[in-house]
Order: sequence, then structure tokens, then C-alpha cells
Amino acid sequence: MINSILRFGLIFILLILLQVLLFNNIQFSGYVNPYVYVIFILLLPFEIPSWLLLLLSFATGLIIDFFSGSPGMHSSATVIAGFVRPYILRVLSPRDGYEQGSDPSMLTYGFRWFLTYTFLIVLVHHTALFYLEVFRFTDFFRTMLRVLLSSLFSITFILLIEYYRRGK
Amino acid sequence: MRSLLNFLARYNNLIIFLILEGIAIYLLATGNNYHNTRVVNGIRSLINGIEERINDTRTYLNLHTINENLAAENVALRSSIGRLIKRDNSLFFSVSDSIYRQQYLHASAEVINNSINRQKNFFTINKGARQGIKVDMAVTSGNGVAGVIVGCSENYSVAMSLLNLDFKLSVRIKSNGYFGSLSWAGRDYSHAILSEIPQHVAVNAGDTIETTGYSAIFPEGVMVGTVSDFEKIGGDFYKITILLITDFKKIHFVDIIGNMKKTEQLELEKLFQ
Repeated sequence: MINSILRFGLIFILLILLQVLLFNNIQFSGYVNPYVYVIFILLLPFEIPSWLLLLLSFATGLIIDFFSGSPGMHSSATVIAGFVRPYILRVLSPRDGYEQGSDPSMLTYGFRWFLTYTFLIVLVHHTALFYLEVFRFTDFFRTMLRVLLSSLFSITFILLIEYYRRGK
Repeated sequence: MRSLLNFLARYNNLIIFLILEGIAIYLLATGNNYHNTRVVNGIRSLINGIEERINDTRTYLNLHTINENLAAENVALRSSIGRLIKRDNSLFFSVSDSIYRQQYLHASAEVINNSINRQKNFFTINKGARQGIKVDMAVTSGNGVAGVIVGCSENYSVAMSLLNLDFKLSVRIKSNGYFGSLSWAGRDYSHAILSEIPQHVAVNAGDTIETTGYSAIFPEGVMVGTVSDFEKIGGDFYKITILLITDFKKIHFVDIIGNMKKTEQLELEKLFQ
């Protein structure tokens, strides 16, 4: 328990540093802004109570907001992502359920499962984030293009990180 | 209470989500200028929309009162139109008599009953109170004096003919302006008597006699007749016989003249009597 708290605390700090120092500076032609820190919400254990999940999502978003100078924007998106995570997990659950004490990882459940899982949550998160950012429905499809392209990059980076974790 | 707790336990997920999301949106709306403006504008337009709906509803609910007001206004406007427009079939039309600065209303009527052979003759015309005829209006035939309305029913009026012993009219000699009192002697339907003309006044046969307008019934200058004969009787006055211009035997179409300022004049005069 303590171990996992420490582990997730470390991941948390690393991800935020990664996001703030590296990914926030990636901007391809105004369409691509990868937000990789979402992986923190992805990796939290299955058994985590939903209230804690929501609080942690909120905290993640809030800290990113502080560093990006956009109060509330990332928090809203991460809270939404944290809210839908249990439902997505339920939809994606294998026939005999998730293994006791396991984390949602590529190692345990395979690449395809992890890709679907990541794709759905990142899509939800990015959709919320980008539409909150423009805060209007004019240029709806332009925003949607941004969502899709950024999701593509975010998912790519998340998969890379997950590969790296597996290799360790 | 227990069901409330159950509810909270069941939806705690959703409730926490909504609280956190609310905080995030609040931060979003207050912390960013752009979002703040958007939210404020959005809320304002939302509120404006709601107020418009409320206003619409209120207007709808007040339609009854509004209708009543409109109806009242219609009535007022219609009556003012009635006052303003001269309709072709209207009974009265205004004549601004610029010479004498009096305003008279005119109407035409038909004589439907007439007598000339009594001492107190009356004739009946086919218009009454409903057509605006009132007591004490003047009746003329062509351009000569015929009588005075003395009674009105709804659609008929009775006029006292000039050929009535009670009929008195203030008239004057047109050429010199001396005025006297006209009355009927009770004998001849074509002649009347003009009295109270002093003897020093020059009177000639054929002089025109017209009304003075002192009575407030007849307008000034309505023709009565011409002098046919005059004689000096005892006292200082002439007895002038007037040949009436109105032929009462064949009187048929008459004009009725109402003096709009009669009441004003009479009330003023009453103060000094």
C-alpha cells in the first residue's frame, strides 16, 4: 500500500515534470498539443475508490493548470476523464473480470486492450480540454481536428512510456 | 433520511464529479479573461432570453386588459372621427360664420304636417332627437324664417310656426338697423306685424326685414320679409305690416339651425337679469 503510494507519487511528479517541461513546449502548427500526463489517470489501480480517483484527477489537472497558466481548464478535463474511467473499464472488462490486485497495464492485459483503453480516455479528455479551451462551437470541426491530431500524438507518447515501463 | 443516505451513497461518484467539475469550471470562468467574458456574455444572453420569455408570458396574460384598453381607445377615436368627418348623409354640418363669429349647425328636414288656419299654428318635421334636433332650434324655409322647434320625440319634432300668436322674434330693418319685435296678428298667413319701431325712423314700403340674432335662436341676418304697409298708431311706434317671404301654405323643405353657443350666451345673460 505504502509502496504503491510512493510509486504513484513518483510517477505523478515525473509525469508532471515531463508534461510541463517537455510536452507543453511541443506545438506543431497550432493543431498538435500532446497531453501525456493523462497516463497517470490511466495507470491508477482498478480497486481505487471512485472518489479518490476523482480527487486525484482533479489534483493532477489543477497542478498542470498552475504550470500552464490556465486555471480550471485541465482540471475540468481530467475530472471528466476520471469520471468516465470506471465506465470505460466496465465496458472493456474481460470475460472473467480484472485480476485481483492488478493495475491496468499493457503487460497484464495486452497491447490491444491497452490501446483501446488509452484511446477512449485520451479522446474524452482531449475533447473536453480543447472544447473548453476554445469555449465556443464555431470552428467546431477545426477544434475536432485538433482533438484528433493531439490525441494521436498523446496516445503515441503514452504507448511509448508504457513500453518503457514494461521493459523495466 | 435513510433514503437520502442511500441516494448519496449510490450517487456519491456523480456528486463528487459534479462538485469537482463545478470548481474547475469556476476556476476556468474566473481565472481566464477570455472564458470569463464568454461566460458572462453567455449568462447575460441567457438571462435576457429568459426575461424575454417572462415578458412575453406576462404580455399574454395581460391581453385581456390590453384588449379592453384598445377597445376603449377605438371608441374614443371613432367618436373623434365622427366629430371630424363630414359625412354626406350627416344631418348637421358646421358653418363657421366669419361675419358674426357664431357657429351654427344646419340640418334639413321635411315638413310632414302643417297648419295655417289656427291662431296657434304648429308644423311637424320628420327629424327628431335621434337626428340631433333639439328644442329652441330655428327653422327656416329657403332663406326665410319659418318657426322654432318646441318639442322633439325620437324621430319627429314639432315646431311653433311663425303663424302663432305666441311667436315673438327680434327683427330689424336691414337698411337702417332699427330693430323691433315681430309677431303674427292671427289673420293672414302671408303677413306679420312688426312693432316697436320708433316713429322718427324712416320706413319705406319694400324695406327688407331680417333677424337680429338677439334671441340666440336665429342667426343674424335671416330674411323675414319686406315692408308692405306701415301706419302711425298711438304712442311713438309704427305698426308695420310685413309681407312674409316664407309661403307657409306650400312650405315643405325646411332647414333647422342650431346655435352651438346659445347656452353660453343665455347663461351669461342670465347673470345680469
